[in-house]
Amino acid sequence: MSTDGSLSGKRFIVPIGPQHPALKEPGHFSFTVDGEVVTDASVRLGYAHRGIEKATESRNWTQSLYLLERICGICSHVHALAYCLGVEKLAGVEVPPRAQAIRVLVAELERIHSHFLWLGVAAHEAGFDTLFMYTWRDRETVMDILETLTGNRVNYSANVLGGVKFDVMPEIGDTIRRGLEFLEGRTHHYLEVVTTDQVFLQRTRGVGVMSLEQAETLGVVGPTARASGVIRDIRVEAPYAAYADYPVQPVLAEAGDLEARFIVRIKELFESYRIIRQILDTLPVGELQTRMPRRVKAGETVSRVEAPRGELFYFIKSNGTDNPERVKVRTPTLCNMASVLVTAVGHQLADMPMILAGIDPCFSCNDRTVVVADAGGAAYNWEQIRHYGIAFYQGK
Amino acid sequence: MSGAQERLAAARDVLAAWVNDFQEPEPERLDAVIASADLTAAVRALQTAHWGYLAAITGLDLGAEAGQLEVLYHFCSGSAVMTLRVPIPRQESSVPSICEIIPSASVFERELAEMLGVVVVNTPNTDRLFLADDWPSDIYPLRKDAFVDSAEKEQGA
Repeated sequence: MSTDGSLSGKRFIVPIGPQHPALKEPGHFSFTVDGEVVTDASVRLGYAHRGIEKATESRNWTQSLYLLERICGICSHVHALAYCLGVEKLAGVEVPPRAQAIRVLVAELERIHSHFLWLGVAAHEAGFDTLFMYTWRDRETVMDILETLTGNRVNYSANVLGGVKFDVMPEIGDTIRRGLEFLEGRTHHYLEVVTTDQVFLQRTRGVGVMSLEQAETLGVVGPTARASGVIRDIRVEAPYAAYADYPVQPVLAEAGDLEARFIVRIKELFESYRIIRQILDTLPVGELQTRMPRRVKAGETVSRVEAPRGELFYFIKSNGTDNPERVKVRTPTLCNMASVLVTAVGHQLADMPMILAGIDPCFSCNDRTVVVADAGGAAYNWEQIRHYGIAFYQGK
Repeated sequence: MSGAQERLAAARDVLAAWVNDFQEPEPERLDAVIASADLTAAVRALQTAHWGYLAAITGLDLGAEAGQLEVLYHFCSGSAVMTLRVPIPRQESSVPSICEIIPSASVFERELAEMLGVVVVNTPNTDRLFLADDWPSDIYPLRKDAFVDSAEKEQGA
């Protein structure tokens, strides 16, 4: 180090990850630092890439649904929903209104679970573990609701091509309402905590600021965009499923800092509670499914839905056979990741986990091929992996 | 005319200088076929006109028989989706980078390059995005014939 304290042109790079950079998911970040201050940042993704887009091409339309649903363990429903809406559009199938309303109901329950999960993780990154534990305790309420409703906590598998799998009975409606009442009370408390707790505010207020112009240039989506004042919500802009009947009020903030992202996500919870109650009160009567042809007419379609993290974009091409020709998935995290790299510059290294958590990244969504190789280095194909898996478990 | 239809009409006006093949495959969608040489000029014009945002870049392999790839640039504005379709040859395929105009396109271009083997000319970052570091450099997984050779070998074996 030179006498004036500078590093005389030498750059120090701090690698973070790929194991658990802040979140319990893989991603590798390189932060160039000058002392404690970050001067440059880069990211390497793909540690959870599974080649799902390619895999859909060798599966039929129904099998691809279950595969795509497994892209993400947090927002499995929105992936299935985006795919179903697209394929139904291509096939020219009209889904019954009751099924569309149930899809929205599950989507909003999923949003509640996702936002609570995020709130806990983000609090943990700030060192506020009490908040983390309380939010995750409360999240169990919505997880129990989802389990009661669908039979599963994670891959609810609510969608089938042409409708939904299950009905919402009046008794379940009462269970959901009771759960929402409890969660709403808790949400008011959390909003107060994140906007008044002085220690917590020191970690969030004015940190990771993204201006409206930056948000627009970087092409961020979802709550990350809305916290910078950009109205970008597919539920509002291009209502899908039953959102035209249950309109959403977008929640916006101006500040663009971490605090604003907390406020936007927490306030969105109130909107979700309202929509769910409205659906339970006015659920249309009728069928749950329409018959779906096994083959889908040749054509292309675009399907966009609002995932908890922002716009989820599907491009689906059919060649008129049993299998999709191409399924392209663009997840919200890919759009939002660029903002981390830009907003990181100028901040303390210690703020990086918080700034990363601020976009609510989802790596399993973002990466979609694990290359499984034997000791000789030859790569296995899907069929070989399947046989290996069966043989492995039979041998146990 | 609905808001989306107005937006799509505006897109037609902006793109008229470069595109004469417009299709409306679905309501609220517009496809515009454009030569790769005109791509950057068209994207710049869309940016100047503040027409929507780049939602995704999709690479399509039309197969060895067609001998073509297609790169789709999806722009969204409200409920309107406008797609610039750039047909390119399957051999020595390349498109110009649009990162100078839309910096956030970098990740989409990296994905396109590694998955379909399209050279993106002047893209600022050519590192792998999703594929592993030791992934063979001549296999582009989203090409239709990517794993055909290995499957044939297995059957022969």
